[in-house]
Amino acid sequence: MMGRYPRWPIHFALIGAGIVMLVPFYWVLKTSVSGENIYAYPPSIVPRHIHPFFYIDVWYSIPFARYFLNSVAVSIIAVVCNVAFNAMAGYALTHGFRGKNAVMLLFLSCMMVPFQATIIPAYLITGKLGLLDSWLGLALPQCSTIICIFVFKSSFDAVPRSLIDAARIDGLPEWRIIWHIMLPLSRSAIATNVILAFIWSWNNFLWPLIMTRSADMQTLPLGLARFLSYQEDTTGALYAFCIMVLAPGLVLFLMAQKEFIQGLTSGATKG
Amino acid sequence: MNCQSRWRTILSNRFVLVPGVIAAVVLVWNIYVAMHNHGVVVGRVVDVNGNPVADATVALWIFNFTTYEEKEHVTTDARGDFRFSNNPSYKLQISAEKPGVGRSDRVPVFLYFRSQDVDLSSPLRLGGN
Repeated sequence: MMGRYPRWPIHFALIGAGIVMLVPFYWVLKTSVSGENIYAYPPSIVPRHIHPFFYIDVWYSIPFARYFLNSVAVSIIAVVCNVAFNAMAGYALTHGFRGKNAVMLLFLSCMMVPFQATIIPAYLITGKLGLLDSWLGLALPQCSTIICIFVFKSSFDAVPRSLIDAARIDGLPEWRIIWHIMLPLSRSAIATNVILAFIWSWNNFLWPLIMTRSADMQTLPLGLARFLSYQEDTTGALYAFCIMVLAPGLVLFLMAQKEFIQGLTSGATKG
Repeated sequence: MNCQSRWRTILSNRFVLVPGVIAAVVLVWNIYVAMHNHGVVVGRVVDVNGNPVADATVALWIFNFTTYEEKEHVTTDARGDFRFSNNPSYKLQISAEKPGVGRSDRVPVFLYFRSQDVDLSSPLRLGGN
């Protein structure tokens, strides 16, 4: 059936759609290396006078390295905690237990509550734990996300029960079943967790804004806001900052995109 | 799988290779920076005819948050050469003047890192304005 229709119209349409999607990224990159005003008319597609000095301006205008370190540390904590806690929660949900439906209902209903509504209790709890203005405190509300629990659950559901039963007969405790059997068979779910947790943590603005007190603990999105308040002529430097903030997430996504797509679609295609 | 091929598999994994390449580039760049950040700025001052100007006053202006402020000044030697040896900035301007000869424009100089050693390719030309 596929051979009856030429493929080029689909490819043509997809390439066109891809170009439309990539134009904003190209424009940000172009402006970051040329500083050309975005409102210039006629707009130039190809950058003139390319130079890296806006990036250098960003690096030295604010403590970029410190903000970068904070963002990396918080993201690593969030990613590690997400994989660990979500895997455990997802594994528990593959079992039958009393109140399982209530737990599932609770999870689904909690997904509908926006974080802004729970930010005051989250702040008070973090304060009681003595974690305000710390990396762990910055990562705390993102240490487990319900969507990622369901990603693990759907992935674990695909693992044959006989494997788990065999492991139990061999005397493996539950945490070793997760570590040695479930996780190696769920690499796409792990990649999905890693990417989503990283991007959510990396882009988070509101929580760091609320809970950081010292300038040294700020993350990159806060640094961007601070940078905007400093600079007057921001066009090129602002876009350079955006590229520097975007780049790590983009690199991570490009590295793990195959597993990421598999992880998102494995639950949907499971028979 | 023997030990060598296992290492080859690990090192060719993109989750190891990409961060490894990035780390190597950062390391090389930092070594380069450490070897070239003595804050030395050298250049030459000439008159409108291109002849070197001795005893001209050359000022170093460094970027201070939003404006440029004068950091220090030196005088040129008999060959018109000048040298600043402790530039702390990455974004600077240099100007020169000599009574009776004239003054130059403030020439903006952008460096790739703070205190980068730089030899100005084009001389400061007095009598431009």
